[in-house]
Amino acid sequence: MSECVLQAENLSKHWGGLKALHEFNIKFYDKSLHSIVGPNGAGKSTLLNILCGTYPATKGVILYKGNNVTGLKSYQFCRKGIGRSFQKTNIFKASTCLENCCIAAQQRVGGSFNLFKSRQSSQFIKQIASDALAQVGLSGRADTVASAISYGEQRQLEIAMVLATDPQVLLLDEPMAGMGHEESLTIIELLKQLKQRYCIVLVEHDMDAVFELSDLMTVMVDGQHLITDVVDNIRANPLVQEAYLGNDDEVF
Amino acid sequence: MSVFSTKAEKVFILAFFFIALGVPLFFNENTFYVNKISTMLILSIFVMSLDYLVGKTGLISLGHAMFYGLGGYLFAIMVPEYEEVNFWIYTFYVMAASSVIALIVGLIVLRTSGIYMIMITLALAQMTFYFFADSTEYGGLDGLFIYLKPETSIFGLNFLDLDNETHFYYLCLLSLFNCYVFFKITLQSRFGRVIDAVKENPERATALGYNIFHFRLVAYVLSSSLAAYAGYLFSLQYGFVNPTMMSWEVSASALVMAILGGLGTVFGAILGVFVYESLHYGIEHMTQYWMFWMGSLIIVMVLTLKSGIAGLVEKLVTGKRK
Repeated sequence: MSECVLQAENLSKHWGGLKALHEFNIKFYDKSLHSIVGPNGAGKSTLLNILCGTYPATKGVILYKGNNVTGLKSYQFCRKGIGRSFQKTNIFKASTCLENCCIAAQQRVGGSFNLFKSRQSSQFIKQIASDALAQVGLSGRADTVASAISYGEQRQLEIAMVLATDPQVLLLDEPMAGMGHEESLTIIELLKQLKQRYCIVLVEHDMDAVFELSDLMTVMVDGQHLITDVVDNIRANPLVQEAYLGNDDEVF
Repeated sequence: MSVFSTKAEKVFILAFFFIALGVPLFFNENTFYVNKISTMLILSIFVMSLDYLVGKTGLISLGHAMFYGLGGYLFAIMVPEYEEVNFWIYTFYVMAASSVIALIVGLIVLRTSGIYMIMITLALAQMTFYFFADSTEYGGLDGLFIYLKPETSIFGLNFLDLDNETHFYYLCLLSLFNCYVFFKITLQSRFGRVIDAVKENPERATALGYNIFHFRLVAYVLSSSLAAYAGYLFSLQYGFVNPTMMSWEVSASALVMAILGGLGTVFGAILGVFVYESLHYGIEHMTQYWMFWMGSLIIVMVLTLKSGIAGLVEKLVTGKRK
């Protein structure tokens, strides 16, 4: 197995009395896809939101390449190399697809407080942005306004924007949510390529996709870690079947 | 890349500054109108700075007149009473001082946004208003007088006389032009790219690694210091400052002018001011109940013109070309 880039130790998130996440331990490895599954309300999204700094953790430590990043502000996570996509499409709808990626790329290039240098002047930023669009297969849409492209394409753009920030870890929150079968296949192909270069953490409900893509899988129930293993072992595990299907035989 | 965002903007700006250049020649013997239009030009700078904040950065302030008033007060307080000072040096002083104040105020008010920011900017502006209204040192409600207008020589060259209405008019016109170009350049810069992003989707901008607080703060300081510059020009024109300049009515009517002109269009601020002020002047002379008619007209205009008068100009210009 390659090196561990992102690690959570005893990570907890309590909303009042509700333990959305409790004493969670997990390791994510470079150049692999690690998916997190579990029933609704298991705390998958909470975990993702803590890992990218959107919520502060109640307790516990996040280690990124061995450094403690727990107390950082959410915008600093992205600068370190932990990029995220959102469950609900979250893009700059009034701008073109290329401009969307330029906004992301400029953060990495810098000079964002330059009041006088035209935003169009840097070929470098444009290059990074078009590369990101090309990676997700949206080159043809570069000059189209983001609100005018299809829902599936917006989800791809969402990923392109993360790529343009030059991340090492991609936290993807249901990239296939609400997609048709064909569109899902595009994303699956995309993720297959991306996982050769990035550490991807995937939260997804589409089980076919998850089984096809994952190197490692983690099952969560009620904010707790149930099991982490390779795909085949998960499928056969009685604990997982119980968590997903319930243990009340009479129903079936 | 062109400074103009749309064809309508290009047509309007070129036409406006071309006509404006000729105004003093047209009103040769009537300095009343030249003065009146100078005031509108000053007001345009103020409303433009507010539009930069509200329409472009997405921060709604109901206390922007605080900086307008402060610009005047800062000058009146700093200037020695019976001594002629240099205009350019004091412009720098006023803008530097107001930037520092804006930075401190920004650190407080930008912790909030939306409705809370409206409340806190209003509260701060009212505090400043009553501070000056109640202070004996700064003249209370009567304010302060500026006895001597500054001289304007640069390296011994003196080509501008602030006591001369026409000269002052051109100073205001030049200031508005510079202000417009400055705002447009910053909006098209790399900074402007982030400002666009922060306005449209602050959550996403944060997730992409931008500290949106810093960007809002810079925009706030830029906007506020130019509002102060407008107030400084106003105090020079009339030779006094008083707390009314920073009353909440001034903030609110500036907001109305910005919305009327077309929020977020920058050049719409000029339209908003000239239409509002002309209507005000015109209706005031016709009827005692001008506020009623004025209010009704504004309601009609806001309801029918969705993107302000700038949107109407847009329609006229693009319609003509089809």
